[in-house]
Amino acid sequence: MGLVTIAVRNVWRNKLRTVLTLSAVTVLVIFFLLLRTVIWSWTASAEQGARDRIGTRHKVSFIMQLPRRYVEEMRSIPGIKQVAHASWFGAKDPNHTDDFFGTIAVEPKEFLEVYDEIKLPKDQFETWQQDRQGAIVGDVLAKKRGWKLGQKIVLQGTIYPGNWEYHISGIYTANSPTVDRSTLYFQYKYLDESRPQRLQDQVGWVMARVDDPGRAAEIAKAVDKKFEDRDIQTLSMSERALQASFLGMVSAILRLIDVVSVVMVLIMGLILGNTIAMGVRERTHEYGVLRAIGFLPKHIVMFILSEGLVLGMLGGIIGLAIGYPFVQKGMGPAMEENLGAFFAFFRVTPELVVTSFFLAAALGLIAAIIPARNAAKLEVVSALRRVG
Amino acid sequence: MIPLSYNVRSLLVRKTTTVATALGIGLVVFVLASAFMLGTGITKTMVGAGNSSNAIVLRKGSDTEMASSLEVSTLGMIGAAPGVKRSSAGTSLLSGEIVIVIAQDKLGTQGQVSNVLVRGVPPTALEVRPEVHVVAGHPPRPGTDEVMIGKGLRGKYAGMDLEQSFDLKKNRPLKVVGVFESGGSSFESEVWCDVDTARSSFGRDGLVSSVTVRLDSPSKFDAFKATMESDKRLGLEALTEPAYYEKQSSGTSLFIKIMGGVIVFFLSGGAMIGALITMLAAVSQRQREVGTLRALGFSRFSILTSFLLESAVLSLAGGLLGIACALCMSFVKLSMMNFATWQEVTFSFDPNPAVLVGSLVFGGFMGIVGGFYPALRAASVSPIEAMRD
Repeated sequence: MGLVTIAVRNVWRNKLRTVLTLSAVTVLVIFFLLLRTVIWSWTASAEQGARDRIGTRHKVSFIMQLPRRYVEEMRSIPGIKQVAHASWFGAKDPNHTDDFFGTIAVEPKEFLEVYDEIKLPKDQFETWQQDRQGAIVGDVLAKKRGWKLGQKIVLQGTIYPGNWEYHISGIYTANSPTVDRSTLYFQYKYLDESRPQRLQDQVGWVMARVDDPGRAAEIAKAVDKKFEDRDIQTLSMSERALQASFLGMVSAILRLIDVVSVVMVLIMGLILGNTIAMGVRERTHEYGVLRAIGFLPKHIVMFILSEGLVLGMLGGIIGLAIGYPFVQKGMGPAMEENLGAFFAFFRVTPELVVTSFFLAAALGLIAAIIPARNAAKLEVVSALRRVG
Repeated sequence: MIPLSYNVRSLLVRKTTTVATALGIGLVVFVLASAFMLGTGITKTMVGAGNSSNAIVLRKGSDTEMASSLEVSTLGMIGAAPGVKRSSAGTSLLSGEIVIVIAQDKLGTQGQVSNVLVRGVPPTALEVRPEVHVVAGHPPRPGTDEVMIGKGLRGKYAGMDLEQSFDLKKNRPLKVVGVFESGGSSFESEVWCDVDTARSSFGRDGLVSSVTVRLDSPSKFDAFKATMESDKRLGLEALTEPAYYEKQSSGTSLFIKIMGGVIVFFLSGGAMIGALITMLAAVSQRQREVGTLRALGFSRFSILTSFLLESAVLSLAGGLLGIACALCMSFVKLSMMNFATWQEVTFSFDPNPAVLVGSLVFGGFMGIVGGFYPALRAASVSPIEAMRD
């Protein structure tokens, strides 16, 4: 009888206990998948942000605007290929006032050039460009609201008061997981011509594409230098640095989730260890017999360790079999739809699947170490004397 | 009734298993208590900024002070509204403020910037908000580029400490002359400067973001609100300060509580199964003992309660440990972005007794749920068969 067969049979000896242990491990593996996906999804945008884009904003405050002429001036800076500006609008759907989605005013052509991961059918783009009140929305938002092409919608401005009417000219998708597919982009013209004169000809921020991603930081410095002596100075960063700054502000939450992941792994280890220790205690007598007929302590250790390993692996497999579809198919679309601003892409990565499996297996093995050592140290006589 | 000491001794016999199970439950109680301590901490910090005798006036439709702007000319009308308290000199207690968030270098990071809220206030602001008081230095003098900072900012951002200075605009350094506190509320994460300084550096001529007034009493709010909102052309909206800050914090605190809830749901599922496993083993190993107890005349009911109690003791021990750890969290300060304003606010874990007791009760509850089936099994042991084994 091979080692594995013994391990599997031992695991299966107390069926109720094994089933319970496996269900606990399963619950925790599912949860582990969920937590790590939250972290991954949150940090993904920072790690996968375009390398060749830099963002420029008002130096003092992100809510203050830049003069529009800066956009043209930036085009002449060596290394910059394309420039697009954007302005935060801030609007609510009067029928769903608690539901947040982004509303941003842009110049359609420039915007889609700089953000080429956003995909919009050509005919929809043309309709958008020709319609002053045209707007495009992400497919996630369109589906959630039931907005159709050509539909007229009215939103309430939070920064610019009043009712604003838009026509849905297009529905965009994206070929990068970092794009929030629940934002509404509309024509800058419409915003600028409708706001008070003293606010006109200003833009919220400027995004520029550079020809060499390696020089992004250097070019960002050149931009700030260009406007250094003006009334309004700028703060430029590569898109990644920008995302990292944002993450810095929510890093406390990320750290808390990390702590919880560790706590969870500890609980999983405790449950596995407990089960193995109980099994070993109940079988002390048998190990005495095995020792008496010539098995060495190392064999006993092998029996128990492989039992732990089998238990951990089984838990990992079952947990993944249930948890993967749960997070991928159940949670993922729901998170993307409702919390797209934070979790633009909420999916389990292949690396996470592998990590979770090995983690469960390793925990089973580690949890078996103490019971294995104790069993190996027992003297044959006292093991035989012990009854239960 | 079987004495409790029987259960305690039984638990002590299997030390490793007992400790492992109690630790598992303790960890869950720790996470539960911490999540709710943080949730209440956030609410306390944010809502604590509001005083129920104060009302805040914003432009209708703007959710935050930052998005709001009002003409300075409305100040007179707001001050003359019924219910507004007057100072001994006879002037209305009102504070028209400019609110903006600025990017500031965070110390101790590699060049990361974060958002700090700057509030331009008139000299009356301290009378309108008596809970704000200066703890070091002095308040900024009107008409100067002096500022005071909340104690939560001190030493965390470049230039933010007494006698240091930072730029609002090029060649326009603001000098920190005072540090204030406000009973742990979110004002402590703000910079207060003179309203005219803020107006000129941020290009907000003739405007204020919001107006805060002190009312004669909280009951005067309804009349005040009616006056504010009667003239639709002005487009004003009045809220009590607590209502305003409640709205500002609800997103962040709800997020933490939902997240904590989901986390605790999964973790407690795991730990309850852990307790179940332990108690099942305890019951099956003690078949003979249970049989003996039954033979001695203890009823099925007292066996059931005895095992339930054992499980409850086990989990309460773990729960106490968890709470002890959670209490240590109250020394930890977290700074986190408020989703409504993008401003970074310092929060702490608030160790309020309701949360602690609630978590402990939850721990005991986990033990009782996990121990119920094993206890039922123990109660159904037949004395004759158990003794024969």
